[in-house]
Amino acid sequence: MTDMASDVTPSVSDDTGGRPGTVSRRVLLLVVLAIVLLLPLAPFAAYNYVLQLATVALMWVALASSWNIIGGYASYISLGHNVFFGIGGYTSGLALVYLGFSPFLTALVAGLVALVFGLFVGLITLRAKGPTFIVATIAMLFVVGLLFDNWELVGASSGMSLPLPPFSVDVVKVPFYYAMAASAVGAIFLSHRVAHSKFGLGLRALSQDETKAEVAGINTRWYKVIAVALSAFFIGTAGATWGYSLSYLRPTIFFTIGVAAQMVLSAIIGGRATVAGPVVGALLIVGINEFAIVQFGATELNIVVTGVILLAVLLFFPLGIVGSLREAGRLPAFLDWD
Amino acid sequence: MTEIIQVLVLGLLLGGVYALMASGLTLLFGVMRIVNLAHAAFIIVAAYIAFYAFDLFQIDPLISVLITMPVMFVLGLAVYLPLFPRIESSARYTEMTVLMTFGLALVMEGLLGFFFTGIFRSTRPPYATDAILWADLFIPTGQLLATGVSALLLIGLWLFLRYTRTGTAVRATMQNRTSAQIVGVNVRRISAISFGLGMALAGASGSLLSYLFPFFPAQHWRWVALLLALIVLGGLGSLKGAVIGAVSLAVASAFVTNQLGPDWSPMTFYLALFIILLVRPQGLFGKALRI
Repeated sequence: MTDMASDVTPSVSDDTGGRPGTVSRRVLLLVVLAIVLLLPLAPFAAYNYVLQLATVALMWVALASSWNIIGGYASYISLGHNVFFGIGGYTSGLALVYLGFSPFLTALVAGLVALVFGLFVGLITLRAKGPTFIVATIAMLFVVGLLFDNWELVGASSGMSLPLPPFSVDVVKVPFYYAMAASAVGAIFLSHRVAHSKFGLGLRALSQDETKAEVAGINTRWYKVIAVALSAFFIGTAGATWGYSLSYLRPTIFFTIGVAAQMVLSAIIGGRATVAGPVVGALLIVGINEFAIVQFGATELNIVVTGVILLAVLLFFPLGIVGSLREAGRLPAFLDWD
Repeated sequence: MTEIIQVLVLGLLLGGVYALMASGLTLLFGVMRIVNLAHAAFIIVAAYIAFYAFDLFQIDPLISVLITMPVMFVLGLAVYLPLFPRIESSARYTEMTVLMTFGLALVMEGLLGFFFTGIFRSTRPPYATDAILWADLFIPTGQLLATGVSALLLIGLWLFLRYTRTGTAVRATMQNRTSAQIVGVNVRRISAISFGLGMALAGASGSLLSYLFPFFPAQHWRWVALLLALIVLGGLGSLKGAVIGAVSLAVASAFVTNQLGPDWSPMTFYLALFIILLVRPQGLFGKALRI
């Protein structure tokens, strides 16, 4: 196992190893956390707009970082991970409408439901490898979408309205912002823990060569299933928060492949299998989308932009921003979260 | 009894068209290991060509096959040559093709939506709504013609692969790329031709789809999910598997439609996919995939 580890991932080092820059990285981490925590206290001109944009950005950070656990570390590309987003949204939505529990409380339950669902679908879809796995995840997305499209209890394809959150309009964005920040921080923390664990090492090993990893004593099947389940958790909590913030749930919000596309694109453009990559990618893509919408309006061309960026990244720097910089030995310390 | 035969006939009639749609997809995987998520987007492009050929020049969709096939062949080459040879040496080649065609599908969906809007379209040739009544059986003329054309094209494809030099080279490349290269096959050229051929098949499918099913740009995801499910069922890269998978699933989904309504018919394809993953992950006619 240790031989294998040093063979496969020479770059993984112990984060308590007193590497130069560790102290300044701790400081930086605190500064970033402080900014995230204190943002709602700052008096912005377009307060609600800024907070909404920040919430969206944090949501994509949570989604892309979570996706990275299976799509990055294990290199099993899932194009159906937004299923967990929808499961989370609907779980909390149902708990609110039928039981009266606030989604801010049930978000954790939503995450757990997504996790259990992840275990279940992981056991089926991970029977397949490579291209077949990808096809299976797309099929999973369509199956779940179809079920929700026809499920009367949740309003089928026309969706269901949620009661409005009991906050005044001036501050209504604040709780959603914090809830989403919790999902994002949680997802990054999880991604970091996975990257630095024996479990994460196993994922990286099997992403290189599954047979060799198996020989080295890794139960590849369960590693992958658990990776899918873990990656589902914070996607579920983010879905719960997002659904409530929209105050209505409809299958087309969650179960369109465009949601998966943005998750995948964010992780890839930032750098798969790195902790910082999906965060950088998510922020960049949200920025580009916002710029495009402000400049050109919300048209079909936005999808074209997404597609062109994906193609360009794949052709010219498939390792993504963080990966390419590291490869060139030019990764600034503040982006080296591994 | 008549009802069962009736549903069977309707299923078989759709199966031919599904088989044609899937044949291009499985050909691309077989020859180049490309999982083409943009395949249905190309089919929809061809459907728009057929739509405008019909709308502006009154060209029958069955005749416009002769237009969409060469146009899509050329478009296929124009897409293939600048993109795919570049990633040939990539360590995770098949995965790269998935992501690349994913990007391609997004680009095409956006462009289609931008130029042609999201309105449902379909061509309306006179036979589209006709039907033949034969011994209590209701046979939609349009579907009969579409399946006839599909069968002709599939037979043509089989003859091409079986009896021409290029076809033999394509099959050799499918079996073993390296060995094919050793015996003198120009695999680059064969790959490009196969991609064009796959796109030409998508083109013909688009012409047929234009009058069988109303279409709009974003619909291609639903189609590609169905097609991928059925080629996984048949075994990725197996033409025989694609045809058998298409016909059997079309029949199965016709029965599901008959019993549960059309909303649930796509479910047949996905459930079949999951069952096959549990029972025989390499598909009915596929070899275990080595990645």
